[in-house]
Order: sequence, then C-alpha cells, then structure tokens
Amino acid sequence: MSTRLQVALLIVIAAAFATAAAAEDPFRLKPGAKGKLCLECHLTVQEEMEMPFVHTPVAAGECSDCHNPHASSHGQLLATDIGGICMTCHEDLVAEDTVSAHQAVVEGNCVTCHSPHASANENGLAEAGNALCLSCHEDLAAKLASNRFDHSPVEDSCLSCHDPHGSSKAEFLLTKEMGELCGDCHDTGQASFVDRHMGYSVAGSRCSSCHDPHGSDTSGIMLAQVHKPLTNKMCNQCHLDPTAPNALELKAKGMDLCRTCHMEVINETMSRDRIHWPLADEAACLNCHSPHASDEGALLLASTKPLCGSCHPDTIARQEASLSKHAPIDEGNCSACHAPHASDNTFLMQTADVNDACGSCHDWEGHSTHPIGTEVVDQRNMNLSVDCLSCHRSHGSPYKAFSNYDPSGDLCVECHQQIYR
Amino acid sequence: MSKTLSLLTASVLLFVGASGIAQAQNLRIRPLKTIYVDAKGSAMRIPQGVTYDGVSQLVVSDTGNRRLLVFSLTDDAAVPTFEMRLREVTYPTRVKFEPSGTILVLDGKSHRIARVTTGGEFQGYVELASDGGQDPVIKSFDVDSEGNLWVLDVANGRIVVVGPDGDSSRTIATPAEARFLSDLTVSSSGAVFVVDSVGRRVFVARKGDPAASALGDGLEEDVEFPTCIVVDSASGVLFIADQYGGGIVVLGQDGSFHGRQSSMGWKKGYLRYPSDLSAAGGYLFVADRENNRVQWFEVVQ
Repeated sequence: MSTRLQVALLIVIAAAFATAAAAEDPFRLKPGAKGKLCLECHLTVQEEMEMPFVHTPVAAGECSDCHNPHASSHGQLLATDIGGICMTCHEDLVAEDTVSAHQAVVEGNCVTCHSPHASANENGLAEAGNALCLSCHEDLAAKLASNRFDHSPVEDSCLSCHDPHGSSKAEFLLTKEMGELCGDCHDTGQASFVDRHMGYSVAGSRCSSCHDPHGSDTSGIMLAQVHKPLTNKMCNQCHLDPTAPNALELKAKGMDLCRTCHMEVINETMSRDRIHWPLADEAACLNCHSPHASDEGALLLASTKPLCGSCHPDTIARQEASLSKHAPIDEGNCSACHAPHASDNTFLMQTADVNDACGSCHDWEGHSTHPIGTEVVDQRNMNLSVDCLSCHRSHGSPYKAFSNYDPSGDLCVECHQQIYR
Repeated sequence: MSKTLSLLTASVLLFVGASGIAQAQNLRIRPLKTIYVDAKGSAMRIPQGVTYDGVSQLVVSDTGNRRLLVFSLTDDAAVPTFEMRLREVTYPTRVKFEPSGTILVLDGKSHRIARVTTGGEFQGYVELASDGGQDPVIKSFDVDSEGNLWVLDVANGRIVVVGPDGDSSRTIATPAEARFLSDLTVSSSGAVFVVDSVGRRVFVARKGDPAASALGDGLEEDVEFPTCIVVDSASGVLFIADQYGGGIVVLGQDGSFHGRQSSMGWKKGYLRYPSDLSAAGGYLFVADRENNRVQWFEVVQ
C-alpha cells in the first residue's frame, strides 16, 4: 500500500468518526459533561432523578435529546413542540388505523399524564391509578363517588377496559369491541346470565345501550331511564320470540314498530303539515331515541345540543361563532322554539308567528319603537311583513344582538336607503 | 395523412372539452324577474316547489296557500293564468312536468305523488309497492325525458324508477354512508344525482349502476345544508340549493366545483331558505321559500 493511499484512508476514517461524533453530540460538550453540566444549575432535576422511575434520556444524561441548550422557539428550550418531541422516540404510540384516540395524545399534551423527567409512578405517570384519569374526567369522578351500584373493574383500574393512548379496535379507547370486552368477564352462555336477559342471546351486543359501564344508581347498573317494555321484562314486545332463529330481529320496521305503543304521538305527528324528516327514514324514532335505556330524559341518545347538532352542525357552529349568544341554543333547549317531531310551521316552529315565538321570552314591544307586525310591509320584499327576523338571525351572526347586518349602518340602510349619505 | 388527421381531431376535441369546462366554470346566474302574486294579486306563501317546461309554462307549489299556480312565460313577464286547489293534495311541495304535459305534484303531508292535468283535473296517485318494507315515504322525485319517474323513498332507503306504464322497472339502493337524502335529479344520459343534506355531499348512480356512490369529495366547505339538486338540461351543470346558507352551488356532473351564486337576503336576487329549483331553456327558477316568492334567473355562460 502506498503512503499516499494510506494517508487518504486515514483521512476518510477520521472524517467518518468526526461525523459520527458530531451526530452523537451535536453540541460538542466537554468530555464527561453530558447531563452533569446541566445538573450543576438545574438542581430540581437532580432531585427528580432520585425518584423511582426516571425517563431513560434523563437517566442517561441526554438532556439535549429533548432540549436545545442554546435557544429554541419552544417553551422550556425544547427542540420541537412538546408533543412532537415525545413522538421522536415514541412514534408508534397510536396506530395508523386507530378507531379512537385520547384527546391529550392527539393534541400532543403528553405531559398532562406523564412527568417528562421522573416520577414516583410507573411509566412516569403524574399520578397513580384512576386518580390520574379522574383529574380531567371530573364528571365521571363525581358519578363514581355517588353511584349506588359500582362496576368492579372501574374500581380496579380504568385500564381494565381502556387503552390510555388510542384503540385500533373500538370507540371510547376500548381495548376490544364492547360485546367482546364485556364477554371477557361475563359468561354470556351461563344460565343465570341468559335468564336475566329473558332468554335472548345478547353476546356481542352493545351492552352500554342498557347498562352504564361506570356504575349507576340502579340494580344491574342500568342507565337512569329505562324503556318500559324492558322494565317489564317484555323484550318480545319489540323483538321476535327468544326461541326464534333471529330472536333479536324486530317485529316491525321503522316507525311502524314504535306506533304499536306510541300511536297517539305518531298519529299527532303525522297529522301535521311538516314532519321532522328523520322520523320517516329507516331508523325512524331510533335516530334520536334509544329503544332500551338512556341517562337522558325521553330516552334521548344524547343531550339535546349534541343530538340536534349531529345533523345540524352548521346551526351550532353559527351560534358558537356568533358575537351574541342566544340562551336557548347555548343551553341546548332547542325545543323552546322548535317542535322535535312535527309542526304546521316552517323550521318546525312551535308557533306560527315569529313575533309570538320571540315574545314568549323577549318583551319586544318594549325594546324598540320600530314598527313591527303583520301590518308593516318589509321595504325589501312586498310579500313580507316586518318581524323579529327582519333584523335578527336567531341562531347567531357576526354582529351584536345577532343582527343580520352591521347595526351601525347596513342594518338600517337595508330598508331606509333614503337616509344613506 | 391519416395520422395527421387523427392528431387534428384529438386537438379539436381537447379544445372543445376544455372550452366546455371553462364555460361551466364561468357560469353565472343573473336575476331577471321576481314572481310575487297570483292573478288576483294575492301573495304567495312559503312556495316549496317550482317547475318550468322549458318553453312557456311555469308551475309553482304555493305551499302555504295550499295551491298550485300556473304561469305563462313571455320574454319579460310571468303571467299568472290558473290556480289549482286540490282536495287530494293538501300540502303541495315538489312539482314536475311529465313529457305529456301533465303535472306531478308531491303532497308533503301524505307523502304521495298525485297526477293532475294543467286544467286542474286530478288523475290519481302514483302507486309505489313497498316490496316487503315499510309503507313508502316519498321525499322527492324527478321525471326523465322518456317519462320515467324517479322516486326517492326514504322509508325504505331506495330510489325506485317507475315507467310510464306505472310499473317499477328498477330499484337503486341508497348508499349506506348517506346521512339524509333530500332530493334527486336525473340527467339526459340517465344518471341520477342525489343530495345528502346532513352529509353535505352528492351521490350518483350512472346508467346501469345497481347502487349510488359518492360524487367528488363532499361539499362541507361549500354548503351548510343542501336540500335540492337539479341538472340544467341546457348547460349540463348541477345546481344545488343551500337552504340554510342561502345560496346556489354549481357543480359539474363529475363533481367538480364551479362556484357559488347568490347569498342570504331579502332583496331581488338574494335568497332565504331556497326550497326548490327548476332549470331549463337557459333559465333557473328558485322557490325562494322564506321570501314568499319565486325568483327567475338567467343562466349566463
């Protein structure tokens, strides 16, 4: 080997080592200074390192894995945003085919649950056991504290049923599809189980349509409101006989099934000029009501605002974006103005006259001296009279008092063009 | 020589196609007239249906007054000629002409389609078999150029095609992913387009398709609550009424977005909760429901 060749080889090897060293220590710290150097100032971290569970990079003194020692655009001198920094190592935390993911994970708020340096709890959790989950899920905490009947797995751990990061199997971070998950503890073939379900095979069903998995005040941890046939153990009022091959099949379809008991409501509904259209489709009443049980009044599938908003998100979004808020919408009291089943009026309004509807809450005769009523023709449209909606949009607008136009000018000029200068 | 000719033909076709797209993208609607009253000067009330025969006749479902109004169209006016009050149709909504000139009208209360002559004579209801499902609930319908009736039956999640002889010739399943289908329209090529109000998208079943599938990427960014769709026989585009958003969206039959026309308002040219559309002969008519009127637009390329 010639001298030239040997020198060249040495240079290449040295360069390769230098590159590797730079990649390993981009900040070229003094020998032995890794981590130790930081701890000379950051004494609290030194104390944290005495805790039983220390984050691997912290224990290895690799502070610069997460922090930039010089400058950063992110708080705590983090190398990237707080969610992104965790994902550089924990990139497989949420599967690509996830069905449901924890909001904290989606938003990159890992430190909501985990201490980034060290913790007294396994996995660096900020708190041990259910206390951590319940620190955010306060409504659930209150419910668990007041339940008369508990579901024992909840007492054991939220992780009995939920994956804290995300699930590729089921909604609500459940580790498995609900029927399968419940079946892990409850033997659906056991005689007593079958007997309690009136002889019907409910394996694989959505158990939470009747039971509250977090416990309830009712025996059998049933939801607060139960459909009368279920209370009376008369499942075969709606379903085929339990001995039938397709026992859970319904005896009739759509509204026809509900009509057998709720004839008065349905006849009243169908006698109106306008129905709420979901009532007429294949799911009919079940678009809004649970056939078994619910925590909401009238066996609604959810409280009114999210329920109505599931089909009318534009209406809810308009209110959210509105400068002024309309109390009934904010409170989810849609039925203050609208009939949920049917009406003779457009928008399924409870009353035919808009002014009457608004007047049931607002003393409009006192709020303005502007002429209003059926005798006052709208200047913009000869077929309309002036009513509350001539100036206001009840679900919200970008202007004060949900005005249709800017009240400092355009609103009045819409009709009174002669005063425009 | 033949190669040169082929190239020339291809270039011409490409140019024509591109021009067509450009025209559709430049399409506008221009307000012409506003129709407010009947022959006696009585105001319309919440009109929910409108249909134009493409020549001279316009029929309006004056729903709030529980009647049909027939207008004769001249170059610059819609002259009210006839009023129909039908015992058999107490709440007229959608209305369409058949090729024979008779009128089909949907009763929004009984959810049945009635056939009437332009002279106001009731000729019976269109019968639709339940096929083992629930009693049909008709949300909307359209009539194609051969007189086939395309019926949207929401109770049974299907579109039924009824021939001029009254027999059902075809059933198209509505897509499982649809949230709530409100209206349909049939193109001259036999494609049926259906609008999903809640899902804010359009589905299509082309000729021979057993089921409808999604057209394009959805309209979440462009509409609030679309309730009516019509294919314009002249330009070939689809007009979609955004009822809650107060506007008209224009789509190509391939789902391409060609713009949004008009907006919420009371004055001429503006819309409040448009309820039905009819497009033919270079015109677009809009049942401007909460403005208690019908608006007559010219479709301008």
